[in-house]
Amino acid sequence: MDAKLKETILNPIFKGNPITVLVLGICSSLAVTVTMKGALVMALSVIAVTGISSLILSLLRNTIPSRVRIIVQLVVVAMMVILVDQILKSFEATYAIDKQLSVYIGLIITNCIVMGRIEAFALGNKPWPSFLDGVANGAGYGMILLIVAFFRELLGSGTLFGVDILNWLGYVPNNLVILPPFALILLGCIVWVQRSIQKDLQEK
Amino acid sequence: MNTNSNTYTIIYTTIIVTLVAAVLAFVSQSLKSRQEANEKADTISQMMTAAQFATKADLQKMGNTAVLAKYAEEIAQAFTVGTDGKKISDLDLSKVFSPKDLKKQNYNIKGGSNAEIPVFIFKNGVTVVPVYGAGLWGPVWGYIAFEPASNTIKGAYFDHESETAGLGAKIKDDPEFQAEFNGEQADFNSANVFDIVKGGAPKNADGSSVIDNKIDAITGATMTSNGLDAAIDTWLGAYSAYFKGIAANKTEEE
Repeated sequence: MDAKLKETILNPIFKGNPITVLVLGICSSLAVTVTMKGALVMALSVIAVTGISSLILSLLRNTIPSRVRIIVQLVVVAMMVILVDQILKSFEATYAIDKQLSVYIGLIITNCIVMGRIEAFALGNKPWPSFLDGVANGAGYGMILLIVAFFRELLGSGTLFGVDILNWLGYVPNNLVILPPFALILLGCIVWVQRSIQKDLQEK
Repeated sequence: MNTNSNTYTIIYTTIIVTLVAAVLAFVSQSLKSRQEANEKADTISQMMTAAQFATKADLQKMGNTAVLAKYAEEIAQAFTVGTDGKKISDLDLSKVFSPKDLKKQNYNIKGGSNAEIPVFIFKNGVTVVPVYGAGLWGPVWGYIAFEPASNTIKGAYFDHESETAGLGAKIKDDPEFQAEFNGEQADFNSANVFDIVKGGAPKNADGSSVIDNKIDAITGATMTSNGLDAAIDTWLGAYSAYFKGIAANKTEEE
């Protein structure tokens, strides 16, 4: 694999993480991180949407009339989001999670990461790198989602993936952790940690 | 080719939109039966949770087929009644009457006339009826189960579309809120059939709730609590003639 492709994949995971560095997709990362299961399904959904829409739009990139390109992007992304939602609703295992995530699956369409990567990368690059870029950005987003959800479910419900971890020790679940403000505090801490590791992000 | 000409743009967008519509229509059609099966099992498990057969989480673990089998085993009869309390017709047990179907009825908080509302009676005599209304962000609905021919509530289950997680969503997620209904008594002679009280329902000396038609609202979720309260008043109000009727019959028999 050449260096540029490697950079495409690795950059969004840490150095250019969509949530902590670009500060995109904050809304849903506050909303769907109450449980690990929810966060995992959301992460996989976003990966599927960003990856496949980037691929489709990269394939179409030379044919899209530039005046209506945003609308064409929207149509493709919206299609992917509806497909993901329909598929989640169709399986017994994911039906309850889809209900729990409710509007947030539909709101993937407004997730700036999806449109941002299409506009910034997929429209100017070949299909394969575009697909990888989409998947990597989705994964970068999903990783932060899972980190936040790990702390919120563990401290807020005393469980992980619904399995009791702390409660049998007599832990009293902290209700504040369940509320969205705590997710913001956690995200702030993650940004803090990242900026102390990665000095070039710090403003002078 | 000039990709910026008007003709090209119009043709291009038409083709894209048609293609996308075709894909979505195809997927929606082919997945519809699976989605309906999931929805049916979910609705039935809400009813069975209200009737205290099992918790919602346990029913979910059982899987769709087992839930449907258990329902078929436990249900005795289902029929619709009018707001005058008279039976209208039998319901097909293989179909599901979702609380959302109440929305289609010509009946609301201000009253109404020709509502046709379902009553589900299980083999142990527990009677389950649906309620439906508006929460803060979207619809709220649920099932309330009554002890055999009585106004004593056996249990309740509520669900919502988009109430705030951690606040309004507690009507569904907080088992303690739903458990508050257990043992309370609906007052079918009043317009205020059941009350969700902000600031606390009357308590006994030992802290347990007085057996009446009042329970505590959810802190921080006034709008959702009020919405649910109105939903319950509206629909239990619609059922009041039916419940008064069976209570009267029971006294005669005795």
